[in-house]
Amino acid sequence: MKQDYLTLLREFLHKRENIDPARVTPEASLEELKVDSLLLLELLFEFEDKLGVTIPQGVTPPKTVGDLLAIVDGLKVGKDA
Amino acid sequence: MASARRVAVTGLGLVNPFGGDLADFFGRMLRGESAIRLFTREDKTTRPLAVPAVRCASFDAEAALGRSLPFTMDRYSQLGATAALSAWSDAGLPRTKDAPRNDWGVSWGTALGGTLTFESGYMDLLRNGRDRVPPLSVVLGMSNAAASHISIQLGLGASSTTYTVACASSAIAIGEVLSKLRSGEATLMVVGGSEAPLSYGIVRAWEAMRVLAGGDETSAARACRPFNSDRQGLVLGEGAGAMVLEDWDHAVRRGARIYAEFAGYGNTSDHDHLVRPSVEGQIRAMRMAILDGGLTPDEIDYINAHGTATREGDPIEIAAIRGVFGSRSEAVAVSATKSMHGHMLGATGVIEAIITVMSLASQEAPPTAHLDAVDRDCTGVRHITGGPLRGSLRAALSNSFAFGGSNSVLAFRAAH
Repeated sequence: MKQDYLTLLREFLHKRENIDPARVTPEASLEELKVDSLLLLELLFEFEDKLGVTIPQGVTPPKTVGDLLAIVDGLKVGKDA
Repeated sequence: MASARRVAVTGLGLVNPFGGDLADFFGRMLRGESAIRLFTREDKTTRPLAVPAVRCASFDAEAALGRSLPFTMDRYSQLGATAALSAWSDAGLPRTKDAPRNDWGVSWGTALGGTLTFESGYMDLLRNGRDRVPPLSVVLGMSNAAASHISIQLGLGASSTTYTVACASSAIAIGEVLSKLRSGEATLMVVGGSEAPLSYGIVRAWEAMRVLAGGDETSAARACRPFNSDRQGLVLGEGAGAMVLEDWDHAVRRGARIYAEFAGYGNTSDHDHLVRPSVEGQIRAMRMAILDGGLTPDEIDYINAHGTATREGDPIEIAAIRGVFGSRSEAVAVSATKSMHGHMLGATGVIEAIITVMSLASQEAPPTAHLDAVDRDCTGVRHITGGPLRGSLRAALSNSFAFGGSNSVLAFRAAH
């Protein structure tokens, strides 16, 4: 499932910022990918929209792509369960 | 003159409905070409819309600003940032994003700000049954977004201000920096305005005021006829314009081309009525601009009129011009270029200021298009009709009069 989220993230960043999908790995730093606070808001919105989940307001800001995927994965698993 | 420090116009840029550059746009103005077309809009849940309007249909935000930036901008900011970058380049200035200047700034005007963003959000919430809007809605829609983007892109640290004064927004944005530049508080300012008003709700609101000109595919181009006996109202338009204003000596030192001198500014309030303009308020604004510029009425050879083509507004402006110029008013050339580029609300002041500056620089002023039967209530000035006026133009005014009774007049002097 995480792989699907990674694909979604790669597609978004490529369309939005022309970021090479190969750079978007779980270890990659969001800061190095130039994902600032506004872009992160858009990303969370995109995940919520596409996956039908709600990411809580107080969630700890992710530092890496892997952190972000883990947040989404946790929510999705919870919903599916 | 309030100060010995003079202000030069050294850069001009715009996004206009013809899709070409400044020279192309001004050439079309001189030839009396109208950009007004029938604007139609239709979807499943709103009633079809069909009104004469002006759109920058060929504007390509990604081509102008790159892939990422347009996502963070409402259309009014996209138009504005593009115009500002164009004026910057025209002024021969390097991009200073990485070497910001704290004595350079931006002053912007918009009447409606990000109205397209807000309408889209309301549609989602109220029509489409969604319970949330995109996360950038606030920063796309805010009225100072265009100025913010311009400040960020060009590294302008002196100030970033936005004026929202209906149809005088960008004229006031220009005028209000004059004292800053004269005093030395700022050395260089990017000024102008942008508007993208063609949302469903905004067009319907203007229709409800009964001031929009009607027309169909065939007649739309001639829909706006300022000062003409059969005029029927204004035409909404989208667009953006920007000017680089700088301390005269600074401009000379860096070898900049100087289009004209920004000489004076007048700003008054009618304090009378929300929409009915006042002859007296407009007279005071024109006199203030002339006096502030160290000019006399005898030196004003051209006026780019506010001239929206409403039944009520046009005769009042002509009466005000006659009040200022007295027996000389028949020698003062007047044209209303909204007949061609429409009424761009908050952006219209700067578009007309650019036309005024270009008129002084080229010594050619554009006509009022479609003016073939001057209304008897609009006589007494030298209307430019049929083609451009060529001759000695020493100084000129650009008038902007807003709903709410705010009057702004900009005075420019030929550079040579």
